[in-house]
Amino acid sequence: MLSPNSESELAEMIAATSGDLVIRGGGTRGVSLPGAELNLSGLSGVEFYEPGSLTIVAAAGTPLAEIESVLAAENQRLAFEPMDHRGLLGTTGEPTIGGVVAANVSGPRRIQAGACRDFLLGVRFVDGAGAAIKNGGRVMKNVTGYDLVKLLAGSWGTLGALSQVSLKVLPRSETQITLKIRGVDVQTAVAAMSAALGSPFEVSGAAFCPGEDDTVMIRVEGFEPSVAYRASRLSDLLMHFGEISQTHDAEKSAAIWTAIRDVNDFHSTPGDVWRLSVKPSDAPEVSQRLQADGLLFDWAGGLIWACVAEGTDLRARIGSFGGHATLVRASAETKQRLGMFEPQPSSLEAISAGLRAQFDPRGIFNQGLMQAPALGAF
Amino acid sequence: MVKAATLPRNETGIETALGILKQRFGDRLQTGKSIREQHGHTTTWIENQPPDAVVFPQNTAEVSEIIKACAAHKVPVIPFGVGTSLEGHVNAPAGGISVDMGQMDQILAVHAEDLDCVVQPGVTREQLNTHLRDQGLFFPIDPGANASIGGMTATRASGTNAVRYGTMKDNVIALEVVMPNGEIIRTAQRAKKSSAGYDLTRLMVGSEGTLGLITEITLRLHGIPEAMSSACCSFPSVDAACQAVIATIQYGIPVARMELLDTASVKAVNAYAKLTLTESPLLMLEFHGTKAGAAEQADAFGELAEDFGGTGFEWTSNAEERNRLWKARHEYYWATLQSRPGASGIATDVCVPISRLADCVARANEMLEELGLVGLIVGHVGDGNFHTTLLVDMDDADELARAEEYVGRLNDVAIAMDGTCTGEHGIGQGKRPYLTKELGGATRYMAAIKTAFDPDNIMNPGKILSDEA
Ligand SMILES: Cc1cc2nc3c(=O)[nH]c(=O)nc-3n(C[C@H](O)[C@H](O)[C@H](O)COP(=O)(O)OP(=O)(O)OC[C@H]3O[C@@H](n4cnc5c(N)ncnc54)[C@H](O)[C@@H]3O)c2cc1C
Repeated sequence: MLSPNSESELAEMIAATSGDLVIRGGGTRGVSLPGAELNLSGLSGVEFYEPGSLTIVAAAGTPLAEIESVLAAENQRLAFEPMDHRGLLGTTGEPTIGGVVAANVSGPRRIQAGACRDFLLGVRFVDGAGAAIKNGGRVMKNVTGYDLVKLLAGSWGTLGALSQVSLKVLPRSETQITLKIRGVDVQTAVAAMSAALGSPFEVSGAAFCPGEDDTVMIRVEGFEPSVAYRASRLSDLLMHFGEISQTHDAEKSAAIWTAIRDVNDFHSTPGDVWRLSVKPSDAPEVSQRLQADGLLFDWAGGLIWACVAEGTDLRARIGSFGGHATLVRASAETKQRLGMFEPQPSSLEAISAGLRAQFDPRGIFNQGLMQAPALGAF
Repeated sequence: MVKAATLPRNETGIETALGILKQRFGDRLQTGKSIREQHGHTTTWIENQPPDAVVFPQNTAEVSEIIKACAAHKVPVIPFGVGTSLEGHVNAPAGGISVDMGQMDQILAVHAEDLDCVVQPGVTREQLNTHLRDQGLFFPIDPGANASIGGMTATRASGTNAVRYGTMKDNVIALEVVMPNGEIIRTAQRAKKSSAGYDLTRLMVGSEGTLGLITEITLRLHGIPEAMSSACCSFPSVDAACQAVIATIQYGIPVARMELLDTASVKAVNAYAKLTLTESPLLMLEFHGTKAGAAEQADAFGELAEDFGGTGFEWTSNAEERNRLWKARHEYYWATLQSRPGASGIATDVCVPISRLADCVARANEMLEELGLVGLIVGHVGDGNFHTTLLVDMDDADELARAEEYVGRLNDVAIAMDGTCTGEHGIGQGKRPYLTKELGGATRYMAAIKTAFDPDNIMNPGKILSDEA
């Protein structure tokens, strides 16, 4: 195992290596690949935090929990609400901020605030040849050439080993209310969530839990009077979809959304877990085709979590659906066989391979994670 | 005028491609001098480098045909929206074909239930918003010119709403692009979250026409807020105004717009728009939300502003008054030009961390004095971006040289503050020297990406990257 303690050590180790490397932050996000482990938890610590300019800069191996507590002390937070995968995947260890960025991990608030990548202001990383590169930094926006920062977010370590990330943070909201509509079917649920999102009442979460209660949940956050007003207007607006109740206790409301974020419903159920990204209006139809044992809809229907029998090739089962399916929880064998990520059209696959060839010319980072089995020439 | 670098011309290739395209497109390919000059650079101090011809495609297949013809003969292709970019973006330093997207101006679909729409690149932002209004939706990015959506995507444009709604990078969901070999690709699906591969959408956004030609754009839309209120507040100094901005952000007031005008700017706006704003540094703000929310936000800001010496705080939700105020802001460029008749405007575009904004603006002001220049300062202060508009007599060589010196020095100041030389206008030709200064090793990657996408360098050559690459 390689465990550098500084960016320069990281660069030296990568330059000196000859075999495949598996980049690891906290190891909580379910990546298991052949190769030598490159453990980044030694690159740790908040390096710069300025609440007044809403910016935090931290070494990539810094535990997420540390970042969250530093921010909380100033009444701020990561607005993209990164999911904790440990419960769902049964992994242990400490999620790191570099892992959050590399996997572009977001949560329910994404529909309002955006994804992790939308808050990423800058990165430092070491490429496959062992050179340290910086792009972006502490400014809220720039138009200096191609957006390498966004390219690195969600690249799952296949383009470079992140050494430092710079993120925009936001003030925490003062309070929140969750509205619940019980006893609706999936069509009605998606229509209700869409109406809520299209309203001017600034919804920061919209999820649907089918099952015993068939409950739609809608979250509003902000300053107290505004939250109360918006919740009541939303209740009026959504009344005709079903009976509405409100959870006013901010802590209880927050717990509801943590459970949705981390997909608590599937923690102790057996089976593989898939995550499908669809157009919200397609969600009812696509979810029928899944024949799933368990379902959870987030992002107003734009994100479907599905639990199915182990080893199921869900992509084959549903065919083309105008979105993509990611395999999140399965045995190593199934992940290997089906691939975590939806295969891309060959033109995009070729472009991606071309990018990888530039960033990692020797092909040593997280091999097999993001490429299709057979590649055409670029 | 500042001289622009030229690149070697491929005369035979250009002649052949022109012949092919002329035959194929007839009157939709124009070679007249004035139309060519119009498609070289217009809104800048950089010299005009007209293309050899301008072609007006009407659909993606035609764009693909054009690019294939140009690729076969290694002829430059310069995508053109409406030509309001400011750094020589649409100049043709090696000649070639300007592809004017003006006839691809259809709004193809609005999906109100999914809060998105699909448009062709020639649609302008005003056209789009007029179309959306009846459905209670809007598209928030509003650069100071009525730019095309294709141009705005290619330059990663932003506007006065960036604090709340982000920039083009946050509002483009998917693209259809014709690649430098003529192949048509889709970067993503309409599904909001794309994790199937690398983020090619965001790689294209801001690529200034150098990686491909954008032929269709899926945009994220927003519901028109229930209520909007606008406010003005004067401050004793720019520093005090910046402190108020920081306090507002930290308090968590979700301001939609927050613009700073220095004293000279306020005077120019008063004169042009016949307003009577107090002639000292001014913050113009807008709050979006529910009726109660927008009012609460305005009141909360008013209280904070008082702590920093803010005076004359007023807010209104009256649509007419609001429009008058923001119209004055949107006409700012023309107002500044009037304050020195006969002069041309040159806009700087630095962006710094908000905590350094006051220092940077102060330096920008001092340098005006040091270099004996006339300039006004206006800023999108919520994200640390501001412009000095230098009013320059282009016939005075010495003054022009001092203006260039000013731009360079200010860029260096911003870069030294962990900032950037360009927050929204882009690199084009004009800012290429600063890109390397600011980014160092990262430009090597950009050059590598450019080579991987466009090995013959036919897409908008001479932009973003230095010619040596
Ligand atoms: C008075 C004034 C105020 C301005 N204020 C702002 C502001 O507040 N914020 C801001 O961001 N900018 C501002 N700008 C700059 C300018 O308006 C923006 O850069 C705008 O996005 C350019 O759009 P356009 O349609 O004019 O593009 P063009 O100038 O025609 O083209 C710009 C670049 O994009 C490329 N391009 C155009 N269309 C396509 C396409 N379909 N596919 C691929 N590449 C393409 C071109 O090759 C070129 O490199 C301002 C300009 C003026 C004159």
